[in-house]
Formats: sequence, structure tokens, C-alpha cells
Amino acid sequence: MTFLSALALSMAVLVVAPYLAHRLRRKNAEEQIFPPARLVVPAPPEARRRSRLEDRALLVTRGAAVVVLAVLGATPFVRCSQLSLHRAAGASIAMVIVVDDSMSMRAVSGGGTRLERARRGALELVSSAREGDSIAVVLAGTPVRVELASTTDLGAARQATLALTPSDRGTDLEGALTRAHELLASAPQADRRIVLLSDLADGRADGEPLSGAGDTPLWVALPELAASRVDCALVRADQRGSRVHVEMACGPGQSAAGRELVVEDAQGSSLGRTPAPGGDKGETSVFLQRGDAKADRVRLTGADAIVEDDVAPVLPEAARGTLAVVADATDEAVATGGAPIVEQALGALKLDVDVAPLPAVPDTVDELANRLGVVLDDPPGLTPEQRHVLAGFVGSGGVVLLALGPHAAAAPLGATFEPILTQAVSWDDTTQRGVQASTVVGGLAESAESLSDLGATRRTLLSPADAALFQPLASWTDGAPLVARRNMGRGEIWIVCLPFSLDASDLALRPAFLALLHEWLQVALDHAAPLRGVVGASWSFPGARSVRVEGPAGPLEIARETGVARVSTPWLGVYRVTVDERTEPRVAQVDPREVDLRPRRVAPGPAGADSIGQRRELVDVSGYVALVLLVLLTIEMALRLSSRRTLVGA
Amino acid sequence: MLNWAVSRRTWSFRERRARGTSPAFVMGAREIRQAIDWGELGPLRFRARQVAEGAYAGLHRSALRGAGVEFGGYREYVAGDDLRRLDRRSLLRHQRLLVRQFETETDRALCLVVDASSSMAFRGPAAKGSKIAFAAIVAAALARIAIVNGDPVSVTFAGDERVQSIARSSGREQFERIVAALETLEPGGDAFADPGMLDRALLSLARVARRGAIVVVLGDLLDWASGAAEKVASLASGGRVLAVVQTLDPAEADFPFSGTVRLRALEGGHVVETDADATRAAYLDALGELTRGWRESLARRGGRFLSATTNDSLTGLVRSIVQTIR
Repeated sequence: MTFLSALALSMAVLVVAPYLAHRLRRKNAEEQIFPPARLVVPAPPEARRRSRLEDRALLVTRGAAVVVLAVLGATPFVRCSQLSLHRAAGASIAMVIVVDDSMSMRAVSGGGTRLERARRGALELVSSAREGDSIAVVLAGTPVRVELASTTDLGAARQATLALTPSDRGTDLEGALTRAHELLASAPQADRRIVLLSDLADGRADGEPLSGAGDTPLWVALPELAASRVDCALVRADQRGSRVHVEMACGPGQSAAGRELVVEDAQGSSLGRTPAPGGDKGETSVFLQRGDAKADRVRLTGADAIVEDDVAPVLPEAARGTLAVVADATDEAVATGGAPIVEQALGALKLDVDVAPLPAVPDTVDELANRLGVVLDDPPGLTPEQRHVLAGFVGSGGVVLLALGPHAAAAPLGATFEPILTQAVSWDDTTQRGVQASTVVGGLAESAESLSDLGATRRTLLSPADAALFQPLASWTDGAPLVARRNMGRGEIWIVCLPFSLDASDLALRPAFLALLHEWLQVALDHAAPLRGVVGASWSFPGARSVRVEGPAGPLEIARETGVARVSTPWLGVYRVTVDERTEPRVAQVDPREVDLRPRRVAPGPAGADSIGQRRELVDVSGYVALVLLVLLTIEMALRLSSRRTLVGA
Repeated sequence: MLNWAVSRRTWSFRERRARGTSPAFVMGAREIRQAIDWGELGPLRFRARQVAEGAYAGLHRSALRGAGVEFGGYREYVAGDDLRRLDRRSLLRHQRLLVRQFETETDRALCLVVDASSSMAFRGPAAKGSKIAFAAIVAAALARIAIVNGDPVSVTFAGDERVQSIARSSGREQFERIVAALETLEPGGDAFADPGMLDRALLSLARVARRGAIVVVLGDLLDWASGAAEKVASLASGGRVLAVVQTLDPAEADFPFSGTVRLRALEGGHVVETDADATRAAYLDALGELTRGWRESLARRGGRFLSATTNDSLTGLVRSIVQTIR
């Protein structure tokens, strides 16, 4: 901005001149004596409105003309810059615009958010494209999405760009670039390029520099977006009685010192406050003024780069999930004493779950409520009530680990394992010494060797019909399943064809036993719907017949992949998830990496990339400004003519 | 004074510059009893005579001329009574001397009621004089006609309590008294703030207007209460002849304003801001409704109604009044 530009623009203050002239010209109605005034109908609003409408149109037009005139006076000193494509060879190009729609793009810079600037940049690029160019749009927020597949329809590209909306997702720049390369691979154009519109803040500032692949150049078109800023976010907040436990995170080396955490109820009233913890990560508790108060959200006072992550919903702390274990304390006990060996093994895994021993399989639904899973060690069959409860548990997403042994094989009449098994099992002698390593899959594979020489003289055999229902995870050398799984409803059934008792085999002493329990427990944790998840992560609902998800900004679209319902959470906040008419709240919380606004490095492009790539151009807007001024003057003349005709007609 | 202020306010800037700053106009007018904005209508005395002479020639009838046909009652015989009117039946039956009276022989007094409220001081830009000046000339002219014919005249003012009515009398001195009172009249009073203004005037009138009297009411009729028409119309009973002359300023009759105007009434404190062009028709309708109400109320009681503006011919108006009350 030169002195002449400033001088010319300062003339814009004359915009008040038409208004002052209008005020001087518009005098109040002169009061006159008129004895029969009471017979006159008052009509000041209509009169004034008519006057105001006529005057306002002229006033606005003249004011705008003055401003435009000032801007025109400032040109050619005032110029606008915009992105455009440079064509070295003049041929059509294939371009993938990678737009970062992660939460870090909500940071405000230059009067608007980074995403708004990126969207404008994308529009400018689309505008500079011409017939024959193909454009694709990839969104770099997790998960990476193809907003627009490669198309030569520039109108569609423009519409897709206009439809970009901010989100609170994490950032996956590498995944987005990989996806962009995949899209370009099949493009017929020889000139291919990837344009990255991002702040490059993916939480991996120290990672490998971003680069293009092969001859495809990568252009970081808006480097001004990659500016480090201070940001702190509230990750989660749980209410435990009269206190709210808050976890927060800041960018590396940053802190929220001097700011406060305020707990508010649904009406916005403060329930308690405390200073924010120092450091880039911290936890603290806010004690509420009333013990029975129900906190709704926590707010971090002060300002930083991203406002949206300074508020977090408060949820009551969920009850810790427990595993129910049904084992015969007499048969399953070890010589050294203590709990049954399966309970001791679960405890040895050091997982954040509790184990609840049960004397028998419950015959009421309530006893299995809030269970992560159920371990049944060689039960002597199941009564009809137990079968009903277990079927309901599995059908609603529960996971059962069923070890079959001599008791199971000797189940009394009427005590079957339906619907898990349709037929009775047999406890037979075996000469098989172990498991065929090649049949071990999944998490058990690493420990397959420990199962190669199992010390078991007898084993449980399933009927061929039942064996066909299960997917074997480990099989004996003769092909009979040792460990197998099957889906039932929304849950899973895992069976082990040996009991955990050391009297029957030494399975429980093998490393693979712990791997088995760990693998099964992970499945159980996956099935137990987590209350919280990082924003952008997908929630899957296997086996669910109907799923509805209501997010902070409305219902979400449910996608189905191979019959499994999935939904991706684009925004922070509380979601109401309804699965098979059962509703539960879930929270999408901040991805802590998104508060790290340090930009990632970008590798230099291949040789000659600049000559075939892109550039920034300065656009002289004088012509446009003059055109606007001409239009304004035309409008003013039309208004004056119109008002004059009105006066003459009156 | 109020009317002086009113006159100043209604004059244009150019008129004020030419007239309002003149010492002769401001001070001299007050000294010559310029309470009324006479405009081009004064001086009252000569103007009234001129109007009366132009009006009554060939039109006026004497109150004592000719025999009556409408029986008006009996009274005791006094020396000098016409013996032809002596009631012989009463003499034979009651041994009393009674004279039969007829309507034309009763008192033919002229009772003038002049509205002297504040609104009568108004003079519009296009008017020759204020409404009170116009009414004063008409009243004086009627008084002169009556006095010349030997009829007694009284004048009652409907205004604030400072104005004094003139008792019924006849003769040249009475005309001078009436003219003097009209010249010094200072309009005042607010019919809205003082609802009893009209009642006081009518009560005063009832004492002097006996059977056969002629009652002429001069006023703008704009600010009197809604029941005023009925009260005034009641004067037409008892053998009295009633004529109401509505005196309006041309501005009041035509509503010549344009654009956005802010109008203030002289009585009642009404202030109205309006678009004159848009509301002119509604105003004229309201004025017509008011006039129609007076006309109908008077017609039901046998009264007469006349309407005039201050730019109308004085002679023609007085002639119309005389013809109306014949």
C-alpha cells in the first residue's frame, strides 16, 4: 500500500457526504396552525416511509459510487491476487485438488478461516481451468474422502468446491496425497498435478517431508496458511459426582496458563471454575458448587486459534465394563490355589477390565447387563432360561468364549448349547498332539508354535454340522477345530475345544492361551460400544438391522459396507446413536494431534516442476471497478428519472 | 396575544418580513383595538352599515307591520292598546280587560350568538380576514338591520369568561355598543378544556330570547362537543327562529396543504402529522359529515343552517340570513 493508494482510499470518507446532504435537505415538517386538525387523519408513517425509500435508494447508490470512485482512484495500486493454472505446453491438464477440511483449518487467519481461504483458492483454480481439463477433489480430513472423482465437467467441480464445509476431523495428508496419485494414475492427460490447499498441520511436524510421486508435482498453493498458532483443546470431560474431570491438550510447548475452565449447565449458568492446567497436556478436576448439579459442558476461557475445540460436552462417567467368568472353582483351580486359572490369566493381561466370577450362567437378563463378555469354562449344558439369556446377550452385541470339555459333553438331557451349537459334543480320546501351525490365524498366529505339542489325551469334537458353522482360528493336525468363532446377531461366539482345566490339558499354560484371551477380549471391547471416539473415526455396527445417528448438526448418513453399517463423525460433540431401537449417547472428541498447528515440511518438487506447474498472478481490478462505477451511475440516473416522473405525475 | 401569535404563525415568511416587523402594524394595531385580525374586512362600523344597507333594501320586514294570524296568548289591557284586539268574551265572562296577542305582535328581538373561542382567531394565508372578523361584520350588519327596524338586539359570546355579553336593547346607542364590543373582542377559550362554554352562552341567551325572537349563531362549529348541535337546535323551539351560520376559513374548507405537514389545533391541543395529499379526501369527508350532522339536527327542530367562508360575499351572506329568517 503506497502513499498514493492510501490517499486515494481516504477519499472514501466522502461517503458520508451524500448522507449529510440528505440530512440537510430532509427537513422536518413545518408545524402549522389548523383549527380542525382533529378531523385530519394522521398518516406520518406512510409519508415518512415513502420519503425514506426514495431517499435511501439514492443515498445508497451515491454512497457506493463514492466508495467505488475512491477505489478506482487507488488503482492500479490496488490489485487482487488469485490462484491460476499455468500451462507450459498449452495442453489440457489433470489436476487433483486436495483440500484439508480438518479441524485445524478452522483457525482464523486474515479475516476468515483457513478453510474459507482454501475454498476460495479451489474456486480460483477451477475458474482457471478450461475445457478438457479434468479435476478431482480429495478431502484430507480423516478418513480421506474423494469429494469429486476426476471429471471434465467444470460445473460439477465448481459445485463440489462450493459444497465444502468445515469439519472437526483429524488430518491425513499422506493418505490424501496417496489417494490423489491413485486418481491421477488413470488420467489420460500428460500434464498431471496435485494442488494441496492445507495448513500442513497434521500433528506430525517432525515427520517425513511431504512430496509428490514420480513426475507428478505437488504444489502447496497457499503457503500462508501454514502458520503456527497457539491452540488448546478440551479432549474429554467426565462428571464423577460433584466434580468434573477434564482432560485438555495444547500444541507442543504451548499451555493454557492464565485461562480458566468453566463448567456450565444446559442453561449456560456457571457451576464451577478452576484455572486451566499448565503444560501442553494436563488433567484437572473442577468441583461443582452443588453436588447434584448436572454439568452440560466445559468451556475454556480466553481465545486461541480454534474456538470450536474450547468447549467439550460433559458425560457422566460410564460404569467400567466387566467380564463375567463362569468356571468350576474346584476343577479349574490350580495347585497353588487362588482363583480359577482363566481368571488369573485375564488378570495377567493387565487390561483395564474387571473380572466378575459367577457361579453359573445367569438366567436373568439383568445379570449380564453392562458385561463386556462372558467366559464359560466347560459348563454342563445350559438350561432353557440360560440359553435365552445368553442368546439375547450375544444378539445384542455380546461376546462369549465357550470352552468345551467333559462336563459339556456330559450335559444332561434338556441342557443343550442351543443356539450356539445345534448338536451335542463328544469328549473323545485323541492321538493328535497339537495344532497345525498353518491353520492358526489372527492374533493367535504369533503364538502358534506353542500349540504344536499340546499335552491333551482327550478333546472335544463338534458335530460336522456345527463345525461348518464356525470359522476355525486354530485347528488340530487332523483338521478338527481347536479354536473357532462365529457371528451371531451383533455378537460373536468363540469356542475352544479344550477346557481350561489343567487336568484336561496344558492349554492354559501355553503362551497361546494368553494370546487367545487377549484376542477375544479385544473383540469384546470392540463390540462393547465405546462411549467416546476421536472425531472422524468410523463407528461400525455389525449385525445391526437399523441404525440412526443424530449428530450435533443433524442426522448422519449411514453407509453399509459388506452389510455392516458404518458412520463417520465429522463434528465434535454428542451423538445419539439408535441401534435396533436402542438409543445411547456417544461422544466424538478432539483428535489431540489437531491442536498441533505446526506445519509439516514439504519436499522440493522434481526438477522442472515450476515450469510445468503453476504460479500466482496479480490481477488488475481497475477495469472491474470502473465497470461497477458505471453501473452505479446508471442506476442513479434511473432513480432520478423515476423520481422526477413521479413528481410530475403527482 | 393568542390571535396575534396565530396570525404571525400563519403568515408566510415574506409576509412576516413585510408586515410583521412593521412597528405600525404591531403596536398601532393594538392601540386601535386590533384584537381581531380584520385584514381587508374592517373598519367594522362602516362595513356593517354598508353590508346592512346592501342587504335589507326590499328584503327586510318590520316586526310590527301587519296583523298576526298566529294566536300568541292574552295579556292585561293597558291604556293605548288597540281596542279591536280587546277580548270581548273575557270581558263578559270574567269582567276583565284582556287583549288578544298574535305572534307577529310579540317581541321580535334579534339574539346574536358569536363564537369567540380561540379557533375563531384563525386566518389562513388566502383569507381576507380572520373568522371572528368575518363573523363580527355579519353580526354588526344584522344588528344594524334590526335596530333600524326598531327591533331590540342582544349579543352573546361563546368564549372565555372575559368576554361580556351585551344585553338586549334597541336604539342607535345599542348599535354603537355592539360595534364597540365586537371591535374589542379578544377570542379565547378552549371548548375542549371548558365544555361549559357553550352551555353558559345558551343559558344567557335563554334569558333574553323570548318567544318569537330570532336567534342567529355565528361560529365555525369545529370544536364544540358532539351534543352541541342538539343543544343549539333546541333554541328553535318556543316560537323562536333559529339560523346557524357556519363560518369557515377557506383553508378549512379546501385543505390546501401539500406534502407532509404537521398541524396543530387551536383548541384541544390536537397535533397531527400527515401526508396532506393522501388524507385530503378523508378530511373533507369528515368536515362534510360534521356539517351534515349540524344541518340535520337543525332541520329536525325547524332551524336553518348556512355555511360560508371568510372569502364569501358579506352582503350576499347577510341577505341569505335575512331571507332565511323571514
